[in-house]
Amino acid sequence: MSNLTNRFFSRNPYFLSLVLLVIMVVINRALQDNLFEIGPLNGNLRVFTPAILLAIGQTFVIIAGGVDLSIGSIVSMGTAILATQIPTDATPDMIVRAVVLVFLAGLLAGSLNGFGVTALRLQPIVTTYATSFIFAGVALRILPEPGGRLPRELTTFWRNPLQVTESFAIPTSIIAIAIVILLWVLLTKTRYRQFLYATGSKADAAYSTGVRVNRIKFSTYLFSAFFATLAALALTLGSGTGNPRAGDQMTLPSVVAVVLGGTALSGGQGGIIGSIIGALILGLISNIISFASLDSWVRPLVDALIIIIALAIPALVGLARRAWNK
Amino acid sequence: MVKNITLVAEQAVKTYGGVTALSDGNLAVKSGEVLALLGANGSGKSTLSKIITGLISPNKGRVLVDGRPVSFNTPSEARKAGISAVYQELSLIPDLSVSENIWLGHEPLRFGMVNRGEMHKRTQALLDLFKGLYRPHLQPDAPISSLTPDERQIVEILKAMSFDPRLIILDEATASLDSQQVNRLFELVADWKAQGMAIIFVSHRMEEIFRIADKATVLRNGRTVGDRVIAATNRRELVDLMIEGAGLLEQQRQAFEVSDKPVRLTIDDLKTNVLRGVSLTVHDGELLGLGGLHGQGQSDLLMAIFGAIKSSGRISLSGEELHFSHPKNAMNAGVALVPGDRGSEGLLLIRSIFENMLLASWSSYGTPIGMRKARSDSQNVAQELKMVMASLDAPVSSLSGGNAQKVVIGKWLLRAPKLLLLNDPTKGIDVGAKAEFYNLLKQLRDSGTAILFYSSDDDELLGLCNRVLVLHDGQVSAALSGDDLSRDKLVSASMGTVHSE
Repeated sequence: MSNLTNRFFSRNPYFLSLVLLVIMVVINRALQDNLFEIGPLNGNLRVFTPAILLAIGQTFVIIAGGVDLSIGSIVSMGTAILATQIPTDATPDMIVRAVVLVFLAGLLAGSLNGFGVTALRLQPIVTTYATSFIFAGVALRILPEPGGRLPRELTTFWRNPLQVTESFAIPTSIIAIAIVILLWVLLTKTRYRQFLYATGSKADAAYSTGVRVNRIKFSTYLFSAFFATLAALALTLGSGTGNPRAGDQMTLPSVVAVVLGGTALSGGQGGIIGSIIGALILGLISNIISFASLDSWVRPLVDALIIIIALAIPALVGLARRAWNK
Repeated sequence: MVKNITLVAEQAVKTYGGVTALSDGNLAVKSGEVLALLGANGSGKSTLSKIITGLISPNKGRVLVDGRPVSFNTPSEARKAGISAVYQELSLIPDLSVSENIWLGHEPLRFGMVNRGEMHKRTQALLDLFKGLYRPHLQPDAPISSLTPDERQIVEILKAMSFDPRLIILDEATASLDSQQVNRLFELVADWKAQGMAIIFVSHRMEEIFRIADKATVLRNGRTVGDRVIAATNRRELVDLMIEGAGLLEQQRQAFEVSDKPVRLTIDDLKTNVLRGVSLTVHDGELLGLGGLHGQGQSDLLMAIFGAIKSSGRISLSGEELHFSHPKNAMNAGVALVPGDRGSEGLLLIRSIFENMLLASWSSYGTPIGMRKARSDSQNVAQELKMVMASLDAPVSSLSGGNAQKVVIGKWLLRAPKLLLLNDPTKGIDVGAKAEFYNLLKQLRDSGTAILFYSSDDDELLGLCNRVLVLHDGQVSAALSGDDLSRDKLVSASMGTVHSE
């Protein structure tokens, strides 16, 4: 790729994903007239939220040069715990205990991943692929079949938009995501941010500078597990019930969302904003496909095509430039 | 405030798997002193410095700081004791900026947050130490990946300084700096001495050692073999300590008549983006030198012959006109090129020595590959080149610089080339490995290989070649041989002042 395009993309890593997001919104709007009304908006974003949270967690791991293939199973485990520990007539005490429990379980799972990658020096892909079966198994042990019903007050709080004034409401999930972004911005001003990118960019150089590379890597798996648990919470509150297989298909989309958002799989670059955009794009794609009432066998095909094209755009732009220069 | 430190390393031992990198490392340095650490590649200099900086832990032996034994398990522990290092393999993070790299791990903080304004200011203050000696784009916010090697080296030096150390190790810190930048660094070293810092200076450049060092410690084969006071020694003595039976580059030229041997390579009016019409002939059994300042078209010439870059003009090999459009064709015609940048062009670092050596010649071992013959052939070449290695199956990354370079050459020797193109092959390797390399060149020449040899080291051209073509601005500015082949003529032709065609 030429120097100029290179520089443009390195200064505006979100540019392509933003363009793609706008295209998806326009198509979606054409198919669904009321897309921007508060009801559908709130509903859509609520559905997208677990995927967004997973993409955020995955970003930490990928920036540090790893990948976490177990987060889908951590979601399954989380929903199983929440659905069994919070019965319909739960007292506030029980709810608090269940939430503490689910986060403890998530962080334990993240620690197991971190232990495998740092202490045992296993490949991240191997480690987290293996542990994903452990967590999936735990989920099925806790809740063998979909079931459970959360208290209505809890779910309605999450499902309904926050009414600011009588005529103005904000989708609850936007508030949740905004809080996460705020925390991320704060985090990027700490030393941890420097260590995170240094570890992913060139771990041995970081080590020789005194960065505790293993601790940083370990911490990223805690982050991904933490966000997976948040995703489990969002998912369970959204559906009001538990499904021990809920996270089965959620892991790989999180990786795709991160890459769509401009974070390189080789590590050392990117950030969560791009991943959020990436997750939104994926959500809109599945929306569009369902609205376009395509045959069911066409869906995965279209899904895959759009993703491949999106991922190939930077390379295609470079190719076009080279052909132009010749 | 005057800093104060003494550091002693005693009988340090480090082994990697089956290879002993350091068998008896000793050194002592104190405040206000520059200690030069010398030795051939693979003699254990880097290993000993890494033990001192806590990057690796020794298997045996001890390190004393201010008389107390210490054991650093991580670089940050050594840094707390006031020891900082400028590494040979740079410790910079490509995706982070200059200031982020310099302050990584000790960023100035405000309310627990990184104080970027302060960091920027302090970085600028450090950069001012090299004011005027780098391009203006070297700013505190520039990403490391956008910098040239010399600028990265400067950042690496500033980074080591940012820790305000009591002892600093400069491991080949001058290798990619130009003379002005080196002068500036040496002024800084003089300042540091005055402040009471101790400096360990690792370098291959004798001239620099005699300029700034007070003492020298010499390592050979992982062992400290001598300490000298610089004022009371000379180059000869130090080189003798570094390599047994030195016999460096005494005149190895041999007067012989090449015109009776067949012509191997003829080039007529070769042009590329850089070359402006070059003609030459190389006979079998001739070692033809290419001289001149860096970047006058020498690399282009070799690459064009090898078919790696596009060119116009006539090239004929043994009288047959050929124009290689791809290195593969050149290889099949018995041409080999040893590249200048071994690390990036010549080696697959994580693969085994065996695989690297065979990479260029698998096709001659049939399908399925005749593994036994391949192994015995590469074993023979390895022995011929006296390679120091754990086994043929060890990864190339486990080798020292000199030995890694032998793998690149061995790779081409396995193909028994008829025409060997050498692109500054001894750049950055030590005298010991060079001496072996010269012997190898002579052997190849005597066995009838035609060799085209570009070197940035005039001594090599004067010592080894019967005939040297000097390139200037893409043209041959002089063809020197016999009595004309002298240092004076070589230097003036490099400047483009002599035309004797």
